[in-house]
Amino acid sequence: MLELRQLSRNFGGVKALDQLDLSVHKGEILGLIGPNGSGKSTTVNVIAGLYKPSSGSLTFNGIDLSQRSTHERAAVGIARTFQNIRLFANLSVWQNVWAAHVVRDSGWTGLRKRWLASGRTARDEVQELLAFSGLAGKADVLAGNLAFGEQRRLELARAAASGAELLLLDEPAAGMNAEEIDELDARIRSLRDQGRTILLIEHHMELVMAVCDRIAVLNFGRKIAEGTPAQVQNDAAVRGAYLGAEATATT
Amino acid sequence: MNYNNLLDLSQSLIDGVLFGSIYALIGIGFTLIFGVMNKINLSYAAASVAAAYVSLLIVQTAPPALVYVAAALVGGVLGALVYLICFHLLPLNKPLATLMSTVGMLLLIDEAIVHITAGMPQNYPAMFVGANIDIGPLSLRSDLLFVFGFGCLVMIGLTLLLKRTRLGLATRAVSQQPVAAQLCGMSITGTNMSTFVIAGFLGGTAGAMAGAAIGVLSPLLTLPLTVKGLVVTVIGGLGSIPGAIIAGLVVGGAENLFQYLRGVSERDIYVMLLLFAFLVFRPGGLFPPPAGRD
Amino acid sequence: MDFYLGLAQVIGVHTLLGLSAWCLLHTGQVSLAQGGFFAIGAYASGMLTTMAGWPLGVALPAAALISATVAVAVGFPALRVKGLMLVVATVAFAEIVRLVCFNLTWRVNTGSGPVGPDGSLGFGGIRYFPSNGWSSIEILILIWGLVAAVMLALAWFDRSRIGTLWRAVGEDEVAAQSVGINLTAAKVSAFGIGGAIAGLSGGIFAHQVTHIEHGNFTILLATFAIAYPILGGLASLWGTVLAVIFIQGFLIEGLRVLGDWRSLLFGALILLVMLLRPSGIITSPIGRWFARSIRFDRPAAPTTGGKTHA
Ligand SMILES: Nc1ncnc2c1ncn2[C@@H]1O[C@H](COP(=O)(O)OP(=O)(O)OP(=O)(O)O)[C@@H](O)[C@H]1O
Ligand SMILES: [Mg+2]
Repeated sequence: MLELRQLSRNFGGVKALDQLDLSVHKGEILGLIGPNGSGKSTTVNVIAGLYKPSSGSLTFNGIDLSQRSTHERAAVGIARTFQNIRLFANLSVWQNVWAAHVVRDSGWTGLRKRWLASGRTARDEVQELLAFSGLAGKADVLAGNLAFGEQRRLELARAAASGAELLLLDEPAAGMNAEEIDELDARIRSLRDQGRTILLIEHHMELVMAVCDRIAVLNFGRKIAEGTPAQVQNDAAVRGAYLGAEATATT
Repeated sequence: MNYNNLLDLSQSLIDGVLFGSIYALIGIGFTLIFGVMNKINLSYAAASVAAAYVSLLIVQTAPPALVYVAAALVGGVLGALVYLICFHLLPLNKPLATLMSTVGMLLLIDEAIVHITAGMPQNYPAMFVGANIDIGPLSLRSDLLFVFGFGCLVMIGLTLLLKRTRLGLATRAVSQQPVAAQLCGMSITGTNMSTFVIAGFLGGTAGAMAGAAIGVLSPLLTLPLTVKGLVVTVIGGLGSIPGAIIAGLVVGGAENLFQYLRGVSERDIYVMLLLFAFLVFRPGGLFPPPAGRD
Repeated sequence: MDFYLGLAQVIGVHTLLGLSAWCLLHTGQVSLAQGGFFAIGAYASGMLTTMAGWPLGVALPAAALISATVAVAVGFPALRVKGLMLVVATVAFAEIVRLVCFNLTWRVNTGSGPVGPDGSLGFGGIRYFPSNGWSSIEILILIWGLVAAVMLALAWFDRSRIGTLWRAVGEDEVAAQSVGINLTAAKVSAFGIGGAIAGLSGGIFAHQVTHIEHGNFTILLATFAIAYPILGGLASLWGTVLAVIFIQGFLIEGLRVLGDWRSLLFGALILLVMLLRPSGIITSPIGRWFARSIRFDRPAAPTTGGKTHA
């Protein structure tokens, strides 16, 4: 569904992404891991359109993304969360999700859709998403006043509300405790079961190994391995670059 | 266009560029403050003019050169006051409130000047009036030349200060990574305060120079100086000192050029169009700030 | 009595001006161009009623439309700049408009002598109200009718989906784009609607004072335009009304008894309000009482002012 081909991105002399090839298949949970500074967030930013690639191509469901701006990419079905949370801090929890939801049916087509719509309204759907994220009781709280874990959940709900097929999650478990991570695990799976595709960036290995169907590993902007969690765990290059460092640290 | 016209044109261009050093100083002040705090201090030009007014208090007893120094010092004190009142006391995450508080300060300073002087323009001492230096058919007004030279000196001093001292390092660190700078033991308040004081020195100097170049101080100076200073800041590139210097001279020159070509009432229209040309073709200004990370 | 009628008219006109800036501040844009749009509305409507002989009922909407068109044209290039750059760019625009007014001479002969803008002398004789026998009360009703209409429309708008999108853009542009909000549409529409409201208030202003000149439209006016919503607080439309009453009613007229000292207090009190209530008067006890007693624009959730990069 999403194809990155020979994608590079330089910042001055730094090759944040170096000829990256990556395919995300429909309906899977793909993990993207790698040491700090290996280019994971850059990948997300390039896919979401915040950074322009220095070279290489990028297609989504056959659409060439290079000519599309960030909001157009959201409209064709790519939503994301941010590594450093970026909520609409002075809007309520409800408005945060509502904004992401209504934007897809604004304009003329949206007006017609709403006119003809029957049954479930946008409001119901927003309410459901809040319940799904465990935020139903906080609908009127300002997003900026939420606890950290709640903010992460709200960001996920907001991304899901845009109705995107592909969700790019940039370190959604960062700063969460074990219990919250278990909930996140369940949420990610249930989003996938609703038919979404997920690209999960994470440092928390247990979570990645548990939920991902496939994992790709980056180091210095290059992909050094790709495969099932078991394959990646046993890959020598990965151990050397990444798990190895961790293994030596723990033993 | 005949020879005489060309001569007049060059003459007004030269006068304009010399006068432009005042805009450059004001532009540097805006840019310095913006550089460390990412905020505008709209009361800056008003405080600068006010500093020049205060320096008039010693005009009877001191030689003119000392008056300029006094203006710079008073500018520094006013800078510190403005920082404490309009910036330090307000929450960091309310930039609109800070903007408005500097507007309040601008009005307060302006009205204080009007109140105390009863709105009458005050004569300001100039140096070397009438002693012009002739270069061929063109002449350099020495009072303007003095203003220009003095401005250059101040700018060189500032550059040395920022390059050579710990303060310069601190301002750069605080503007780029406030949290990290604090962890390294740099005081944000101290750095901000010093920046305001330095900007105040420059502003006081600029106010005195404006008084010297025009011959009088008037509260009517504050708004045009504010507008021109902001224009210079943007043309130079936000946060860039060399940019502000060049832009100041360019704006000063352009102003007189347009005045010569189109008359005084239309002059500023073209200066503003010059700004738009920059915004369209070179939005970052002469020396664009580095693009930030997300 | 006439004094109070006049004051109420002024407050109405400035409320409209403040509401126009409110629109832009909601999308995170600090625009000092509102004074320029106000001037365009004033000159355009004045020229339409005096020189072209249009009735006010047609000239006012036309002026609003002209201002809105100019505002949209300004809004597109303004997309490229943010924060301080936008402030300066809009200052430059407003100054250009003012200077064009200063230089504009276009007199035509009507039955009662030449009318039209007369360069630095300004544009006088915009006497639609007196020549059609409007009383002060009627003018006042017209002004506040328009204020009420605009406020109702904006209140509805604020709670509608587009209002939420505007606020989202004002909060965080990157996040807004990432959920699919078109920044261009949001920001330019804010410019257009804000421009229309500013043009409308300028049009009324011209007819209310009958003589306008470039000196009416300085940066100071534009500063007031953004001062109202900021001082009042962006959380509610009532904040803007409250701030206009505070500035025009209390600071300018109420303190007249203090003579010369009034103007000194003026800046100091604005400063003081910001120091005490950085999120606006509306968050103070008086503001909350005010909002509670006349509320039709209760925001969908308690919000405390926008975050703008200035
Ligand atoms: N806007 C930018 N300007 C300059 N360099 C950048 C920028 N964004 C990323 N980089 C550099 O690109 C490289 C990859 O950064 P990136 O943020 O993608 O890493 P990451 O894999 O997400 O790391 P982490 O696990 O710490 O989040 C780093 O060397 C970083 O310094
Ligand atoms: Mg990252």
